Amino acid sequence: MTKIKLEHITMRFGNIFAVRDINLEVQSGEYVTILGPSGCGKTTLIKVIAGILTPTEGRVFIDGNEVNDIPIEDRDVGYVFQNIALFPHMDIMDNVGYGQRVRNASEEDTVAISNEYLELVKMLDRSGYIPSELSGGEQQKVALARALASGSKMLMLDEPLSALDARVRVELRYDIRRLVKRLGITVLHVTHDQEEAMSVSDRIVLMRNGTIFETGTPLEIYRHPRSIFAAYFIGETNLIECSVAQKSKNGKTTVRLRDGSMVKAGKSIYSVGDPVVISVRPEHVYTATDGLRAVVKDIVFMGTYWRVRTEADSEDYVEYNISADSQVPMRGDEVFLVFNKKASVVFARPYEGIWEAIRLE
Amino acid sequence: MPRIRLENIVKRFGTVAAADDLSLTVNDGEYLCILGPTGAGKTTCMRIICGLTDPDSGHVYFDDRDVTRLEVNMREATMLSQVYSLFPQMNVYENVMFGPLIKEWDEESSRQMVKNIFHMVHMEERVNAYPNELSGGQQQRIALARALASGSKILLLDEPLRALDARLRLELRKELRSMVKEMGLTAVHVTHDQEEALEMADRIAVIRDGRIIQVGTPKEVFEEPKTPFVANFVGRSNMIEGVIASAEGDVATVTGNGGTVFKARYTDRAVGSKVLVAVKIGNTKISLTEDGYFKGRIERKLYEGATITVEVNVPDIGTVSVKLPNRKFDDFEIDDEVSVNWSPEKAFVFDYPENGLEDELRVD
Amino acid sequence: MSLIKRIDELSSKRNFKRGWFGLVCAVFVFLIIIPAIYVLFEAVAEWDAVSDVLNDASAMSTIWTAVYNSFSIAFIVTIIDIIVGLPMAWIMVRKQFAGKKYIDTLIDMPLAVPTAVLGISVVMFWGAPSGVTIPGLGWVLTPYLMMVLLHIIFTYPYMVRSLSAILEQIDPNYETAGMTLGASRFTAARTITLPLFRAGLTTGFILCFARSLSETGGTFIALEMMGMSNVFFTGPTYIQVYKATSMGPVILISVIMIILAILLLFVAKYIMNKVRIPWSRVWPKWERKISRGLAVRSRDVITMGVLLFIVLIPAFYIFTYMTASGAPVNYGDLTLAIATSFLIAGIAVVFDVVFGIPMAMYIARHGDTRLGRALDNLVNVPLIIPTTALGVSLSLFWGHFDLSSFTLLLVVLGHISFTYPLMVRNIIGAMEEVDVSYEEVALTLGAKPFQAFRKVLLPIIKSSVIAGGILAFTRSLGETGATVAISSTVMTAPIYIMNLVKAGSITGDYYAAAISSIILIVICFILMFMVRRVTRDKEGNE
Repeated sequence: MTKIKLEHITMRFGNIFAVRDINLEVQSGEYVTILGPSGCGKTTLIKVIAGILTPTEGRVFIDGNEVNDIPIEDRDVGYVFQNIALFPHMDIMDNVGYGQRVRNASEEDTVAISNEYLELVKMLDRSGYIPSELSGGEQQKVALARALASGSKMLMLDEPLSALDARVRVELRYDIRRLVKRLGITVLHVTHDQEEAMSVSDRIVLMRNGTIFETGTPLEIYRHPRSIFAAYFIGETNLIECSVAQKSKNGKTTVRLRDGSMVKAGKSIYSVGDPVVISVRPEHVYTATDGLRAVVKDIVFMGTYWRVRTEADSEDYVEYNISADSQVPMRGDEVFLVFNKKASVVFARPYEGIWEAIRLE
Repeated sequence: MPRIRLENIVKRFGTVAAADDLSLTVNDGEYLCILGPTGAGKTTCMRIICGLTDPDSGHVYFDDRDVTRLEVNMREATMLSQVYSLFPQMNVYENVMFGPLIKEWDEESSRQMVKNIFHMVHMEERVNAYPNELSGGQQQRIALARALASGSKILLLDEPLRALDARLRLELRKELRSMVKEMGLTAVHVTHDQEEALEMADRIAVIRDGRIIQVGTPKEVFEEPKTPFVANFVGRSNMIEGVIASAEGDVATVTGNGGTVFKARYTDRAVGSKVLVAVKIGNTKISLTEDGYFKGRIERKLYEGATITVEVNVPDIGTVSVKLPNRKFDDFEIDDEVSVNWSPEKAFVFDYPENGLEDELRVD
Repeated sequence: MSLIKRIDELSSKRNFKRGWFGLVCAVFVFLIIIPAIYVLFEAVAEWDAVSDVLNDASAMSTIWTAVYNSFSIAFIVTIIDIIVGLPMAWIMVRKQFAGKKYIDTLIDMPLAVPTAVLGISVVMFWGAPSGVTIPGLGWVLTPYLMMVLLHIIFTYPYMVRSLSAILEQIDPNYETAGMTLGASRFTAARTITLPLFRAGLTTGFILCFARSLSETGGTFIALEMMGMSNVFFTGPTYIQVYKATSMGPVILISVIMIILAILLLFVAKYIMNKVRIPWSRVWPKWERKISRGLAVRSRDVITMGVLLFIVLIPAFYIFTYMTASGAPVNYGDLTLAIATSFLIAGIAVVFDVVFGIPMAMYIARHGDTRLGRALDNLVNVPLIIPTTALGVSLSLFWGHFDLSSFTLLLVVLGHISFTYPLMVRNIIGAMEEVDVSYEEVALTLGAKPFQAFRKVLLPIIKSSVIAGGILAFTRSLGETGATVAISSTVMTAPIYIMNLVKAGSITGDYYAAAISSIILIVICFILMFMVRRVTRDKEGNE
């Protein structure tokens, strides 16, 4: 069942378009992440759904009903703010109970519901504290409980983890997903952190400059990105300019790099001679006895693997991984690189150049 | 060029010890990361190095010269804060020229130097812009340029990448390190992000509650943690409690809850001591077919891009997490029964923490 | 080495900073605080004269009535200011609409008008005193009511500004969060924003109350034009009338007003900190109704209406006198009076800047230490003491050093006393927005402390310093009570106008007084607009 639907949503501030002609559907119980660099319009979208912003054009549907004219307080959409926004003069208990209280629920019901949700986020033993006495992660858990305790079946998360330490983020994001799945809540989670998006979403919506670039499950987007921007923004990848040298009958493409070396890639729709870009992720580059010649520039320890940075004869920078236990090459060593054919994706070469196509700001 | 030495630094704010008998050495030309959770005392440590905060006791040495009481502006240790603090009333050029102007250097050569620096940070086109017209990443580069132009040999970076988008951080990590190395500076970079520390540091100093608990190269800190906290903070680890059953050769045998038996690195702790065994999630292996220390059911499979994390529920032990390369994604399904295994020399033995496991591992 | 360089070098030394700050504190205490409360000691020294008055029943009854009038008018006016100022502050901070900049300027305009002039204008508008050829509404009002209407005008800007300042600092996301949880706009504002408002209400309350309490010139002139100046008294006008005759009653009433004012300062702070604005009871249905549509629009209309009809029009009604005619204006004397006012105000502002900035910086940065808090409270003292009583105290204090002949100097000192807190408060407000990291980074880049201050901090707070300077300047320009209490010879512009009014009430011709007033207003406006241009330029850049 479609829970939320956006139809041709455009939001304009003066001469600036925050979002342009957005169409999106979210199913009930789905965990959708809206991912993109700062300024891409992702926060604008969830504000439009919650009613905090009124779209310049377009319609918002919730549960099949058009809600454009319905004010924030009647939309029943929970919202967790980036800077947390717990009411500083109330203790945790009163914060969480606010949603019930403003509906004039009875005191017993309010307390019971507050207790229930504080228990769910494991903050019940701190219910007498005020927000400034809690850590960032704890405050965010309370904000979550507060949004859910008001009874909403939808939750907008506005970069909820950005202000927290890296470690805290990792733990909290799993907690959030576990909780909302248990309660059957429909979630739109806005973030600029692709690792976060990958690990918690059912579906990722990638945005840039006010439009949706592509959507898909984490697996789909990672393995089969449909644009250079998606390939670069989600995960890491090597982007190499080249041109199509050969094309087999079933579409398998061989490309020629700047120095003339030939590399086999996956299927593509391009023809011989087309200028293209090949995208291959570091984990899909291997060393061999023969292949693209490269010189090792730097070796960085990343924990369970080493990242080797090289400069190839084609003047491209290529990075690859080797496991932490393997023998580590030295700076200046010569290596020969081959790419995993199936995992190499071919894109048309952008006329504005690669760097413009992937620019983040 | 300066070497930095902190000796027995103590600094209290009220009842909280931001620095609790803290000692640290930074080598000449080194890129050192101080890694720890928020509130561990990282910023206080930096402020004491550059003189913005005075320690209650202890000494600060630059090249064996005691600078503990030396004024901030004489120390030549420049700080880069996480809010950049670009002077809002000055444009980019004036901001970067601030150092040379204050020090009254020759104008012509300063101008040339600054021009080179602008080229290095890729900001030549924006020299006349004002800070509020720049994006986050651009402001970061100008703040760096300003620090580089001041001629200081010591650079203190206070979570410089924190305010930036995740993807931008990855890009700037490389740039930042290479620029610092190119100028031959000594850098102390404070962060809470262990990936950042691993990628950027020559050495990492792990700090917690005002004390440095371990210093070493990224490889050392990752592969040879000294405490359970470090084992779990720098790269996640599975923590399994148990009791020493025996130890001989290179291997110790540990008995866990529910009668499970597993192996770890050799330890000379007495038989029967209560211990905690830590194995990095990247070193924990699972298999559908082969044997292991114990078996469990796969509860969750998380796709993270280049890697995947599989969570296995093992009776009596709890959840064991396993980090695998993404090509293994299709090998395992939810509810599969798998055996869990690891090489003994990758498993560390620690005394079971007195305050309990949760307190020891707390990052908040 | 130039002077600036020498100061740069000195500032590096740790003791220099302490020494300089010590000097600032000493100057503050000995030049401002002690003379301000000196009259309390004098009362003990001259106990005989004072006790004579205490035993004189009719004198005492006049005194108590005057004190009661002052304090009750101030209280009523402040409460009205809160009621009409709060919606205005709300509109200015939270709403966007065309012409907002103009409303912004209009709200500040009454500050540019010397209160002596306001007295004339208000009486002309509401009543129709004999001798006024341009008829106003012609209502017959009691002196009490007229004073209330007059005092609202010049206290209104203080309240709106204080409330706006605090409202701007409260993150509107709190209210939005409340609304996403189901609260209507009004409920959210009442239960979330309002309780966070306390600091703003306290500041606004103190500023308005103090301003009303101090007012002398306008009150006197209005009463004079109504023929009531010998019958109806406020504290300051009592002092003004009786100063010439005997010191006993004057000392006594000054002491009473100072003690009550200081008490009030602490009581107000205490109550504001303890009072809990109730937020747990909710009435969803009707709170929703008044959050939208007609209710909101009518609230906005009423708020604007109050601004227009109760504040602005009465204030500028005097301009209608330009169409009248009467005895000619002595421009020579007027120019001299205005020049004297400018001189006094100018010196006062320079002092305020030099000694106010260090004080403000200390309080802003160390407001949580004991010394910081003590200074914070002390700075408010000259603000709350009625300026006329302040003048009395000052002239008694310096009289002991045989300086009573240096009346101009004493008047300057007096004006410094009540303008200093305005400058300091303004700068504290600005500093609280400035991150201390700017100066810290400058230090690590090699700048000495004074260099960091003048190259980094000063440019950032410059517009606030200028705004504070203008506030202080216009306040000094408009002051009557303190000047009169200290000296009978110094002729400032408001005193000049007051004399013209006195003459006019006899001849029935207020033309000269009105035209002189108009000229004074125009000069103040020009100043005000110049300043706004400068400060808005800065904001445009940011």
